[in-house]
Amino acid sequence: MSIWPTERTLTADEATFDTVDMTINIGPQHPATHGVFRMVLTVDGELVVDCEPYIGYLHRGLEKLTETADYRQAMGWWDRTDYLAGMCCEWAYCLAVEKLSGIQVPERAEYIRVIMAELSRINSHFMFLGAFGADVGSFGTSFVYGWRERERIYDLFEEVAGDRMFPTYFKIGGVTMDLPENFESRCRWLLDSIRQGLEDLDGLLTGNEIFVERCRNLSPLTKDRAIALGITGPILRATGLPWDVRRAEPYGIYSRLDFEIPVGRQGDVFDRYFVRLAEMYQSVRIIEQCLKEMPKGGLVCATDLPKTLRIESGECYIRTEGTKGEYGVYAMAKGGNKPYRMKLRSPSFCNLSALREMVVGNYVADAIIILGSLDIVLGEVDK
Amino acid sequence: MSKASAFPYPVGTQAPNAKLAELLAALVNGLGGRIGRTTTDVDVTVPVDKLETLVRGLRERSALSFDMLRNVAGADLGDEGLALKYHFYSFKHGHCLQVTVALPPHQHPHAEVPTLTGLFPAADWHEREAAEMFGITFTGHPNLKNLLLEEDLHIHPLLKAHPLQVAELKQGIEDGPAGFTF
Repeated sequence: MSIWPTERTLTADEATFDTVDMTINIGPQHPATHGVFRMVLTVDGELVVDCEPYIGYLHRGLEKLTETADYRQAMGWWDRTDYLAGMCCEWAYCLAVEKLSGIQVPERAEYIRVIMAELSRINSHFMFLGAFGADVGSFGTSFVYGWRERERIYDLFEEVAGDRMFPTYFKIGGVTMDLPENFESRCRWLLDSIRQGLEDLDGLLTGNEIFVERCRNLSPLTKDRAIALGITGPILRATGLPWDVRRAEPYGIYSRLDFEIPVGRQGDVFDRYFVRLAEMYQSVRIIEQCLKEMPKGGLVCATDLPKTLRIESGECYIRTEGTKGEYGVYAMAKGGNKPYRMKLRSPSFCNLSALREMVVGNYVADAIIILGSLDIVLGEVDK
Repeated sequence: MSKASAFPYPVGTQAPNAKLAELLAALVNGLGGRIGRTTTDVDVTVPVDKLETLVRGLRERSALSFDMLRNVAGADLGDEGLALKYHFYSFKHGHCLQVTVALPPHQHPHAEVPTLTGLFPAADWHEREAAEMFGITFTGHPNLKNLLLEEDLHIHPLLKAHPLQVAELKQGIEDGPAGFTF
Protein backbone atom coordinates (compact mmCIF):
# COMPACT_ATOMS: atom_id res chain seq x y z
CA MET A 1 0.00 0.00 0.00
CA SER A 2 1.40 3.39 -0.99
CA ILE A 3 1.86 6.04 1.64
CA TRP A 4 1.05 8.78 -0.92
CA PRO A 5 -2.52 9.90 -1.40
CA THR A 6 -3.94 8.88 -4.72
CA GLU A 7 -4.00 11.58 -7.38
CA ARG A 8 -7.29 13.18 -8.04
CA THR A 9 -8.61 16.37 -9.67
CA LEU A 10 -9.48 19.26 -7.36
CA THR A 11 -13.15 19.79 -6.71
CA ALA A 12 -14.70 23.09 -7.79
CA ASP A 13 -14.60 24.34 -4.20
CA GLU A 14 -10.97 23.53 -3.75
CA ALA A 15 -9.93 25.06 -7.09
CA THR A 16 -11.25 28.53 -6.24
CA PHE A 17 -9.38 28.99 -2.99
CA ASP A 18 -8.60 32.48 -1.74
CA THR A 19 -4.99 33.61 -1.69
CA VAL A 20 -3.66 35.50 1.28
CA ASP A 21 -1.26 38.41 0.88
CA MET A 22 2.05 37.81 2.52
CA THR A 23 4.36 40.39 4.03
CA ILE A 24 8.07 40.17 3.33
CA ASN A 25 10.57 42.31 5.15
CA ILE A 26 13.75 43.08 3.22
CA GLY A 27 16.56 44.76 5.13
CA PRO A 28 17.84 46.76 6.88
CA GLN A 29 20.84 44.40 6.81
CA HIS A 30 20.48 42.93 3.36
CA PRO A 31 23.02 43.15 0.56
CA ALA A 32 20.37 43.90 -2.04
CA THR A 33 19.32 47.10 -0.31
CA HIS A 34 22.75 48.70 -0.88
CA GLY A 35 23.09 49.93 2.67
CA VAL A 36 20.87 50.11 5.69
CA PHE A 37 17.50 50.42 4.05
CA ARG A 38 14.38 48.45 4.82
CA MET A 39 11.38 47.85 2.65
CA VAL A 40 8.30 45.89 3.60
CA LEU A 41 6.73 44.25 0.59
CA THR A 42 3.22 42.89 0.56
CA VAL A 43 3.09 40.15 -2.02
CA ASP A 44 0.35 38.18 -3.68
CA GLY A 45 2.24 35.13 -4.84
CA GLU A 46 5.13 36.60 -6.79
CA LEU A 47 3.50 39.97 -7.41
CA VAL A 48 4.18 42.98 -5.23
CA VAL A 49 0.94 44.68 -4.25
CA ASP A 50 2.34 47.16 -1.76
CA CYS A 51 5.73 48.46 -0.70
CA GLU A 52 6.56 50.57 2.29
CA PRO A 53 10.12 51.92 2.45
CA TYR A 54 11.66 52.67 5.84
CA ILE A 55 14.68 54.93 6.00
CA GLY A 56 16.61 56.70 8.73
CA TYR A 57 18.94 53.92 9.87
CA LEU A 58 21.93 56.06 8.93
CA HIS A 59 20.51 59.36 10.15
CA ARG A 60 23.38 61.26 11.74
CA GLY A 61 21.69 64.60 12.18
CA LEU A 62 23.83 66.31 9.55
CA GLU A 63 21.76 69.48 9.49
CA LYS A 64 21.71 69.85 13.26
CA LEU A 65 25.45 69.20 13.48
CA THR A 66 26.16 71.74 10.77
CA GLU A 67 24.44 74.41 12.89
CA THR A 68 26.92 73.73 15.69
CA ALA A 69 30.15 74.00 13.72
CA ASP A 70 32.23 76.70 12.08
CA TYR A 71 31.67 77.16 8.34
CA ARG A 72 34.94 75.39 7.61
CA GLN A 73 34.56 72.62 10.16
CA ALA A 74 31.14 71.56 8.94
CA MET A 75 32.50 70.64 5.53
CA GLY A 76 33.87 67.31 6.73
CA TRP A 77 30.37 66.03 7.38
CA TRP A 78 29.06 66.96 4.01
CA ASP A 79 31.24 64.66 1.98
CA ARG A 80 29.87 61.83 4.09
CA THR A 81 26.44 62.31 2.55
CA ASP A 82 27.03 60.92 -0.91
CA TYR A 83 30.09 58.99 0.17
CA LEU A 84 30.74 57.59 -3.30
CA ALA A 85 31.30 61.07 -4.66
CA GLY A 86 32.42 63.10 -1.68
CA MET A 87 33.80 65.94 -3.73
CA CYS A 88 30.51 66.66 -5.49
CA CYS A 89 28.95 67.21 -2.07
CA GLU A 90 31.83 69.37 -0.88
CA TRP A 91 31.38 71.49 -3.95
CA ALA A 92 27.70 72.11 -3.27
CA TYR A 93 28.46 73.05 0.33
CA CYS A 94 31.28 75.39 -0.72
CA LEU A 95 29.12 77.00 -3.39
CA ALA A 96 26.44 77.77 -0.83
CA VAL A 97 28.88 79.41 1.57
CA GLU A 98 30.67 81.25 -1.24
CA LYS A 99 27.37 82.53 -2.59
CA LEU A 100 26.37 83.91 0.80
CA SER A 101 29.75 85.46 1.56
CA GLY A 102 30.58 86.64 -1.95
CA ILE A 103 33.98 84.92 -2.03
CA GLN A 104 35.38 84.51 -5.55
CA VAL A 105 37.13 81.33 -6.62
CA PRO A 106 40.32 81.56 -8.74
CA GLU A 107 40.21 80.31 -12.30
CA ARG A 108 42.53 77.36 -11.78
CA ALA A 109 40.56 76.16 -8.77
CA GLU A 110 37.37 76.15 -10.85
CA TYR A 111 38.98 73.76 -13.32
CA ILE A 112 40.36 71.56 -10.57
CA ARG A 113 36.91 71.40 -9.02
CA VAL A 114 35.32 70.27 -12.26
CA ILE A 115 37.98 67.59 -12.79
CA MET A 116 37.54 66.25 -9.27
CA ALA A 117 33.75 66.35 -9.38
CA GLU A 118 33.64 64.53 -12.71
CA LEU A 119 36.09 61.89 -11.50
CA SER A 120 33.82 61.44 -8.49
CA ARG A 121 30.85 61.05 -10.79
CA ILE A 122 32.67 58.38 -12.78
CA ASN A 123 33.63 56.70 -9.54
CA SER A 124 30.04 56.64 -8.30
CA HIS A 125 28.70 55.37 -11.61
CA PHE A 126 31.28 52.57 -11.65
CA MET A 127 29.93 51.57 -8.28
CA PHE A 128 26.45 51.55 -9.78
CA LEU A 129 27.47 49.47 -12.79
CA GLY A 130 29.25 46.94 -10.61
CA ALA A 131 26.52 46.63 -8.01
CA PHE A 132 23.69 46.70 -10.53
CA GLY A 133 25.33 43.96 -12.56
CA ALA A 134 25.52 41.90 -9.38
CA ASP A 135 21.84 42.63 -8.62
CA VAL A 136 20.82 41.33 -12.01
CA GLY A 137 22.96 38.23 -11.78
CA SER A 138 26.43 38.89 -13.14
CA PHE A 139 27.74 37.86 -9.79
CA GLY A 140 31.22 39.19 -9.17
CA THR A 141 32.53 39.97 -12.63
CA SER A 142 30.94 43.38 -13.03
CA PHE A 143 31.97 44.22 -9.47
CA VAL A 144 35.60 43.41 -10.22
CA TYR A 145 35.61 45.44 -13.44
CA GLY A 146 34.06 48.40 -11.65
CA TRP A 147 36.36 48.11 -8.66
CA ARG A 148 39.50 47.99 -10.78
CA GLU A 149 38.79 51.47 -12.11
CA ARG A 150 37.51 52.84 -8.83
CA GLU A 151 40.71 51.77 -7.15
CA ARG A 152 42.71 53.75 -9.70
CA ILE A 153 40.51 56.81 -9.25
CA TYR A 154 40.93 56.57 -5.49
CA ASP A 155 44.68 56.26 -5.94
CA LEU A 156 44.66 59.55 -7.83
CA PHE A 157 42.48 61.17 -5.16
CA GLU A 158 44.98 60.05 -2.56
CA GLU A 159 47.83 61.62 -4.51
CA VAL A 160 45.95 64.87 -4.93
CA ALA A 161 44.11 65.27 -1.64
CA GLY A 162 45.70 62.83 0.78
CA ASP A 163 42.56 60.81 1.28
CA ARG A 164 40.54 58.41 -0.79
CA MET A 165 36.88 58.47 0.13
CA PHE A 166 36.45 61.63 2.21
CA PRO A 167 39.13 63.94 0.89
CA THR A 168 37.79 67.29 2.23
CA TYR A 169 39.82 68.65 -0.64
CA PHE A 170 37.55 71.55 -1.54
CA LYS A 171 37.74 74.59 0.62
CA ILE A 172 35.68 77.72 0.85
CA GLY A 173 37.34 79.91 -1.76
CA GLY A 174 39.04 77.20 -3.79
CA VAL A 175 40.77 73.93 -3.04
CA THR A 176 43.17 73.10 -0.22
CA MET A 177 46.31 72.47 -2.28
CA ASP A 178 47.57 72.53 -5.83
CA LEU A 179 47.72 69.43 -7.98
CA PRO A 180 50.88 67.30 -7.84
CA GLU A 181 53.44 67.82 -10.61
CA ASN A 182 52.72 64.73 -12.65
CA PHE A 183 48.96 65.14 -12.38
CA GLU A 184 48.20 65.71 -16.04
CA SER A 185 50.00 62.61 -17.30
CA ARG A 186 48.58 60.52 -14.43
CA CYS A 187 45.09 61.77 -15.17
CA ARG A 188 45.36 61.06 -18.89
CA TRP A 189 46.54 57.55 -18.15
CA LEU A 190 43.57 57.18 -15.79
CA LEU A 191 41.12 58.38 -18.43
CA ASP A 192 42.42 55.76 -20.88
CA SER A 193 42.01 53.16 -18.20
CA ILE A 194 38.46 54.36 -17.48
CA ARG A 195 37.58 54.13 -21.16
CA GLN A 196 38.86 50.58 -21.25
CA GLY A 197 36.89 49.76 -18.12
CA LEU A 198 33.74 51.20 -19.62
CA GLU A 199 34.19 49.14 -22.74
CA ASP A 200 34.69 46.02 -20.65
CA LEU A 201 31.53 46.67 -18.66
CA ASP A 202 29.59 47.66 -21.75
CA GLY A 203 30.57 44.38 -23.37
CA LEU A 204 29.83 42.38 -20.26
CA LEU A 205 26.41 43.87 -19.50
CA THR A 206 24.97 45.54 -22.59
CA GLY A 207 26.34 42.70 -24.68
CA ASN A 208 24.60 40.13 -22.53
CA GLU A 209 21.18 39.19 -23.77
CA ILE A 210 20.02 37.88 -20.40
CA PHE A 211 20.88 41.19 -18.78
CA VAL A 212 19.16 43.22 -21.48
CA GLU A 213 16.03 41.10 -21.49
CA ARG A 214 15.87 41.28 -17.74
CA CYS A 215 16.00 45.08 -17.66
CA ARG A 216 14.17 46.16 -20.76
CA ASN A 217 10.55 47.31 -20.34
CA LEU A 218 10.82 46.89 -16.60
CA SER A 219 9.09 49.64 -14.62
CA PRO A 220 8.89 52.28 -17.36
CA LEU A 221 8.34 55.85 -16.25
CA THR A 222 6.92 58.81 -18.18
CA LYS A 223 8.44 62.28 -18.17
CA ASP A 224 5.46 63.93 -16.55
CA ARG A 225 5.24 61.38 -13.79
CA ALA A 226 8.96 61.63 -13.09
CA ILE A 227 8.69 65.41 -12.77
CA ALA A 228 5.66 65.13 -10.51
CA LEU A 229 7.50 62.72 -8.24
CA GLY A 230 10.49 65.06 -8.04
CA ILE A 231 12.85 62.62 -9.73
CA THR A 232 16.05 64.11 -11.10
CA GLY A 233 19.36 62.91 -12.47
CA PRO A 234 19.92 59.87 -14.67
CA ILE A 235 16.46 58.46 -13.88
CA LEU A 236 14.80 61.62 -15.18
CA ARG A 237 17.05 61.65 -18.23
CA ALA A 238 16.20 58.00 -18.89
CA THR A 239 12.60 59.09 -19.50
CA GLY A 240 13.83 61.14 -22.44
CA LEU A 241 14.08 64.55 -20.80
CA PRO A 242 17.57 66.00 -21.33
CA TRP A 243 17.63 67.96 -18.08
CA ASP A 244 20.86 68.35 -16.22
CA VAL A 245 21.62 71.09 -13.69
CA ARG A 246 25.03 71.54 -15.26
CA ARG A 247 23.22 72.76 -18.37
CA ALA A 248 19.91 74.05 -17.02
CA GLU A 249 21.32 76.26 -14.27
CA PRO A 250 25.08 76.21 -14.82
CA TYR A 251 27.44 76.61 -11.90
CA GLY A 252 31.22 76.67 -11.77
CA ILE A 253 32.58 76.75 -15.33
CA TYR A 254 30.20 74.22 -16.87
CA SER A 255 28.75 76.82 -19.23
CA ARG A 256 32.13 76.94 -21.00
CA LEU A 257 32.48 73.21 -21.44
CA ASP A 258 31.20 71.19 -24.31
CA PHE A 259 29.33 68.02 -23.42
CA GLU A 260 26.13 66.28 -24.30
CA ILE A 261 23.27 65.01 -22.19
CA PRO A 262 22.50 61.36 -22.92
CA VAL A 263 18.83 60.49 -22.70
CA GLY A 264 16.85 57.27 -22.75
CA ARG A 265 13.60 56.51 -24.47
CA GLN A 266 11.05 55.13 -22.03
CA GLY A 267 12.55 55.44 -18.57
CA ASP A 268 12.74 51.71 -17.92
CA VAL A 269 15.48 50.03 -15.91
CA PHE A 270 17.64 49.44 -18.96
CA ASP A 271 17.52 53.11 -19.93
CA ARG A 272 18.55 54.11 -16.42
CA TYR A 273 21.54 51.83 -16.72
CA PHE A 274 22.47 52.95 -20.19
CA VAL A 275 22.13 56.67 -19.50
CA ARG A 276 24.65 56.32 -16.68
CA LEU A 277 27.04 54.43 -18.91
CA ALA A 278 26.80 57.09 -21.62
CA GLU A 279 27.15 59.86 -19.07
CA MET A 280 30.52 58.52 -17.96
CA TYR A 281 31.94 58.95 -21.47
CA GLN A 282 30.77 62.57 -21.33
CA SER A 283 32.48 63.03 -17.97
CA VAL A 284 35.71 61.77 -19.51
CA ARG A 285 35.23 64.31 -22.28
CA ILE A 286 34.74 67.11 -19.76
CA ILE A 287 37.90 66.19 -17.89
CA GLU A 288 39.92 66.11 -21.10
CA GLN A 289 38.73 69.62 -21.97
CA CYS A 290 39.63 70.84 -18.51
CA LEU A 291 43.12 69.36 -18.69
CA LYS A 292 43.62 71.15 -21.99
CA GLU A 293 42.19 74.54 -21.05
CA MET A 294 43.27 74.76 -17.44
CA PRO A 295 45.61 77.65 -16.57
CA LYS A 296 49.00 76.05 -15.95
CA GLY A 297 49.78 78.03 -12.86
CA GLY A 298 48.21 80.46 -10.48
CA LEU A 299 46.32 80.46 -7.26
CA VAL A 300 44.12 77.58 -6.23
CA CYS A 301 42.44 79.41 -3.38
CA ALA A 302 41.24 82.95 -2.75
CA THR A 303 43.82 84.91 -0.77
CA ASP A 304 41.58 87.44 0.92
CA LEU A 305 39.82 84.95 3.17
CA PRO A 306 39.18 86.13 6.71
CA LYS A 307 40.60 84.10 9.56
CA THR A 308 37.13 83.43 10.85
CA LEU A 309 34.44 83.52 8.27
CA ARG A 310 31.37 85.42 9.45
CA ILE A 311 28.33 86.00 7.28
CA GLU A 312 25.94 88.76 8.26
CA SER A 313 22.74 87.54 6.69
CA GLY A 314 21.33 86.00 3.59
CA GLU A 315 19.77 82.89 2.21
CA CYS A 316 20.29 80.91 -0.94
CA TYR A 317 19.32 77.67 -2.58
CA ILE A 318 22.27 76.22 -4.47
CA ARG A 319 21.66 73.34 -6.84
CA THR A 320 24.33 71.21 -8.37
CA GLU A 321 24.23 68.06 -10.44
CA GLY A 322 25.23 65.41 -7.95
CA THR A 323 25.84 61.90 -9.15
CA LYS A 324 22.26 60.85 -8.43
CA GLY A 325 20.47 64.00 -9.46
CA GLU A 326 19.92 67.51 -8.20
CA TYR A 327 22.01 67.95 -5.07
CA GLY A 328 20.65 71.14 -3.55
CA VAL A 329 21.74 73.05 -0.49
CA TYR A 330 19.46 75.57 1.13
CA ALA A 331 21.53 77.83 3.37
CA MET A 332 20.55 80.61 5.71
CA ALA A 333 23.00 82.86 7.55
CA LYS A 334 22.14 85.17 10.41
CA GLY A 335 25.47 86.52 11.57
CA GLY A 336 28.15 84.65 13.46
CA ASN A 337 30.62 82.08 12.27
CA LYS A 338 28.17 79.19 12.03
CA PRO A 339 25.48 78.45 9.47
CA TYR A 340 22.07 79.30 10.91
CA ARG A 341 20.32 76.64 8.88
CA MET A 342 21.46 74.32 6.15
CA LYS A 343 19.13 71.93 4.41
CA LEU A 344 20.25 69.23 2.07
CA ARG A 345 17.99 68.38 -0.82
CA SER A 346 19.42 65.00 -1.56
CA PRO A 347 18.64 63.42 -4.90
CA SER A 348 18.58 59.85 -3.58
CA PHE A 349 15.99 60.84 -0.97
CA CYS A 350 13.64 62.23 -3.61
CA ASN A 351 14.24 59.41 -6.07
CA LEU A 352 13.68 56.79 -3.37
CA SER A 353 10.34 58.34 -2.39
CA ALA A 354 9.04 57.14 -5.75
CA LEU A 355 10.04 53.53 -5.05
CA ARG A 356 6.57 52.39 -4.06
CA GLU A 357 5.08 53.52 -7.32
CA MET A 358 7.80 51.85 -9.36
CA VAL A 359 7.74 48.54 -7.54
CA VAL A 360 4.01 47.85 -7.16
CA GLY A 361 2.74 45.52 -9.85
CA ASN A 362 6.12 43.92 -10.52
CA TYR A 363 7.62 40.64 -9.35
CA VAL A 364 9.56 40.39 -6.11
CA ALA A 365 12.76 39.55 -7.97
CA ASP A 366 12.30 42.64 -10.11
CA ALA A 367 11.73 44.83 -7.07
CA ILE A 368 15.39 44.25 -6.18
CA ILE A 369 16.50 45.31 -9.64
CA ILE A 370 14.29 48.38 -9.63
CA LEU A 371 15.75 49.41 -6.29
CA GLY A 372 19.22 48.83 -7.72
CA SER A 373 18.42 50.96 -10.76
CA LEU A 374 17.61 53.92 -8.50
CA ASP A 375 21.25 53.90 -7.38
CA ILE A 376 20.61 55.18 -3.89
CA VAL A 377 23.29 56.08 -1.39
CA LEU A 378 21.94 55.77 2.10
CA GLY A 379 24.33 58.33 3.52
CA GLU A 380 22.58 60.86 1.35
CA VAL A 381 19.05 59.59 1.91
CA ASP A 382 19.33 59.59 5.70
CA LYS A 383 21.56 62.65 6.09
CA MET B 1 19.34 53.19 -27.85
CA SER B 2 20.42 56.35 -26.17
CA LYS B 3 20.87 59.52 -28.11
CA ALA B 4 22.59 62.65 -26.98
CA SER B 5 20.77 65.88 -27.48
CA ALA B 6 21.30 69.57 -27.03
CA PHE B 7 19.65 71.32 -24.14
CA PRO B 8 16.16 72.24 -25.39
CA TYR B 9 15.02 74.49 -22.56
CA PRO B 10 15.68 78.09 -21.62
CA VAL B 11 18.87 78.14 -19.58
CA GLY B 12 18.28 79.44 -16.08
CA THR B 13 20.71 81.03 -13.69
CA GLN B 14 21.35 80.69 -10.01
CA ALA B 15 20.56 84.37 -9.48
CA PRO B 16 17.26 86.20 -8.92
CA ASN B 17 15.38 86.79 -12.15
CA ALA B 18 13.86 90.30 -12.46
CA LYS B 19 11.53 89.21 -15.26
CA LEU B 20 10.07 86.48 -13.09
CA ALA B 21 9.36 89.00 -10.32
CA GLU B 22 7.31 91.06 -12.79
CA LEU B 23 5.37 88.03 -13.96
CA LEU B 24 4.54 87.13 -10.39
CA ALA B 25 3.36 90.57 -9.31
CA ALA B 26 -0.28 90.22 -10.34
CA LEU B 27 -0.75 86.83 -8.71
CA VAL B 28 1.10 87.63 -5.49
CA ASN B 29 -0.39 91.09 -4.85
CA GLY B 30 -3.87 89.64 -5.15
CA LEU B 31 -3.08 87.22 -2.33
CA GLY B 32 -1.58 89.76 0.03
CA GLY B 33 1.91 88.37 -0.36
CA ARG B 34 5.13 90.19 -1.07
CA ILE B 35 7.97 89.62 -3.47
CA GLY B 36 11.55 89.75 -2.31
CA ARG B 37 14.77 88.10 -3.30
CA THR B 38 17.38 85.82 -1.86
CA THR B 39 20.94 85.53 -3.15
CA THR B 40 19.89 82.94 -5.70
CA ASP B 41 16.15 83.24 -6.26
CA VAL B 42 13.07 85.37 -6.32
CA ASP B 43 11.23 84.88 -3.05
CA VAL B 44 7.49 85.11 -2.51
CA THR B 45 6.17 85.34 1.04
CA VAL B 46 2.50 84.52 1.57
CA PRO B 47 0.29 83.91 4.60
CA VAL B 48 -0.23 80.24 5.31
CA ASP B 49 -3.92 80.23 4.34
CA LYS B 50 -3.04 81.51 0.85
CA LEU B 51 -0.38 78.89 0.16
CA GLU B 52 -2.57 76.49 -1.76
CA THR B 53 -4.10 79.23 -3.92
CA LEU B 54 -0.66 80.58 -4.71
CA VAL B 55 0.79 77.20 -5.60
CA ARG B 56 -2.19 76.39 -7.79
CA GLY B 57 -1.68 79.69 -9.57
CA LEU B 58 2.04 79.05 -9.99
CA ARG B 59 1.31 75.72 -11.52
CA GLU B 60 -1.59 76.61 -13.78
CA ARG B 61 -0.74 80.03 -15.23
CA SER B 62 1.08 79.33 -18.45
CA ALA B 63 3.41 82.30 -18.04
CA LEU B 64 4.63 80.65 -14.83
CA SER B 65 3.92 76.91 -15.13
CA PHE B 66 6.02 75.76 -12.20
CA ASP B 67 5.82 72.01 -12.57
CA MET B 68 8.41 70.63 -10.18
CA LEU B 69 8.68 70.92 -6.42
CA ARG B 70 12.39 70.67 -5.79
CA ASN B 71 12.72 71.11 -2.10
CA VAL B 72 10.93 71.91 1.12
CA ALA B 73 13.05 73.31 3.92
CA GLY B 74 11.84 74.20 7.37
CA ALA B 75 13.63 76.76 9.49
CA ASP B 76 13.36 77.88 13.08
CA LEU B 77 13.71 81.67 13.15
CA GLY B 78 13.71 81.99 16.91
CA ASP B 79 11.43 84.81 18.08
CA GLU B 80 9.84 85.08 14.66
CA GLY B 81 8.58 81.51 14.83
CA LEU B 82 9.02 78.91 12.13
CA ALA B 83 9.20 79.25 8.39
CA LEU B 84 8.83 76.89 5.48
CA LYS B 85 10.73 77.40 2.25
CA TYR B 86 9.42 75.74 -0.88
CA HIS B 87 11.50 75.71 -4.03
CA PHE B 88 9.74 75.32 -7.35
CA TYR B 89 11.13 74.92 -10.82
CA SER B 90 9.57 75.47 -14.21
CA PHE B 91 10.92 73.31 -17.00
CA LYS B 92 9.17 75.41 -19.61
CA HIS B 93 10.75 78.72 -18.63
CA GLY B 94 13.82 77.63 -16.67
CA HIS B 95 12.70 79.66 -13.65
CA CYS B 96 13.28 78.80 -10.05
CA LEU B 97 11.23 80.31 -7.26
CA GLN B 98 11.28 80.24 -3.50
CA VAL B 99 7.99 80.44 -1.63
CA THR B 100 8.21 81.34 2.03
CA VAL B 101 5.43 80.61 4.49
CA ALA B 102 5.93 82.25 7.86
CA LEU B 103 4.47 80.47 10.89
CA PRO B 104 4.43 83.03 13.72
CA PRO B 105 5.31 81.83 17.24
CA HIS B 106 1.74 81.83 18.52
CA GLN B 107 0.98 78.99 16.13
CA HIS B 108 3.82 76.89 17.39
CA PRO B 109 3.94 74.06 18.52
CA HIS B 110 0.72 73.35 16.70
CA ALA B 111 1.54 75.08 13.43
CA GLU B 112 -0.66 73.75 10.69
CA VAL B 113 0.12 74.00 7.01
CA PRO B 114 -1.99 72.55 4.20
CA THR B 115 -0.23 69.69 2.45
CA LEU B 116 0.89 70.03 -1.16
CA THR B 117 0.89 66.29 -1.82
CA GLY B 118 -2.28 66.61 -3.88
CA LEU B 119 -0.65 69.05 -6.30
CA PHE B 120 2.92 67.76 -6.12
CA PRO B 121 3.39 64.11 -5.11
CA ALA B 122 7.05 64.99 -4.55
CA ALA B 123 6.01 66.85 -1.40
CA ASP B 124 5.29 63.59 0.41
CA TRP B 125 8.65 62.81 2.02
CA HIS B 126 9.77 66.43 2.22
CA GLU B 127 6.73 67.22 4.35
CA ARG B 128 7.17 64.17 6.53
CA GLU B 129 10.72 65.29 7.19
CA ALA B 130 9.72 68.86 8.03
CA ALA B 131 6.93 67.52 10.26
CA GLU B 132 9.20 65.40 12.41
CA MET B 133 12.06 67.87 12.49
CA PHE B 134 9.99 70.95 13.39
CA GLY B 135 6.70 69.63 14.73
CA ILE B 136 4.65 71.12 11.92
CA THR B 137 1.37 69.40 11.05
CA PHE B 138 0.62 69.15 7.38
CA THR B 139 -3.14 68.92 7.24
CA GLY B 140 -4.40 66.44 4.70
CA HIS B 141 -1.11 64.57 4.37
CA PRO B 142 -1.90 60.88 3.79
CA ASN B 143 0.85 59.36 5.90
CA LEU B 144 2.41 61.79 8.33
CA LYS B 145 4.53 59.50 10.46
CA ASN B 146 8.19 59.75 11.32
CA LEU B 147 10.52 59.21 8.41
CA LEU B 148 14.12 59.65 9.52
CA LEU B 149 13.60 59.44 13.27
CA GLU B 150 12.44 56.43 15.21
CA GLU B 151 8.75 55.76 14.84
CA ASP B 152 7.84 56.40 18.47
CA LEU B 153 10.26 59.26 19.07
CA HIS B 154 8.29 62.49 19.33
CA ILE B 155 11.03 65.08 19.44
CA HIS B 156 11.74 67.85 16.96
CA PRO B 157 15.52 68.02 16.71
CA LEU B 158 15.93 70.96 14.34
CA LEU B 159 14.14 73.40 16.62
CA LYS B 160 16.71 75.77 18.08
CA ALA B 161 15.37 75.02 21.56
CA HIS B 162 16.36 71.40 21.15
CA PRO B 163 19.91 70.80 22.41
CA LEU B 164 21.89 68.03 20.78
CA GLN B 165 22.08 65.92 23.90
CA VAL B 166 18.38 65.64 24.73
CA ALA B 167 17.64 63.34 21.87
CA GLU B 168 20.27 60.90 23.08
CA LEU B 169 19.04 61.00 26.67
CA LYS B 170 15.53 60.25 25.55
CA GLN B 171 16.78 57.22 23.71
CA GLY B 172 18.42 55.94 26.89
CA ILE B 173 21.98 56.82 25.95
CA GLU B 174 22.88 58.55 29.18
CA ASP B 175 26.64 58.98 29.05
CA GLY B 176 26.62 62.63 28.09
CA PRO B 177 29.34 65.06 29.13
CA ALA B 178 29.83 65.59 32.87
CA GLY B 179 27.78 68.36 34.38
CA PHE B 180 25.13 68.28 31.70
CA THR B 181 21.75 69.20 33.09
CA PHE B 182 18.65 68.02 31.35
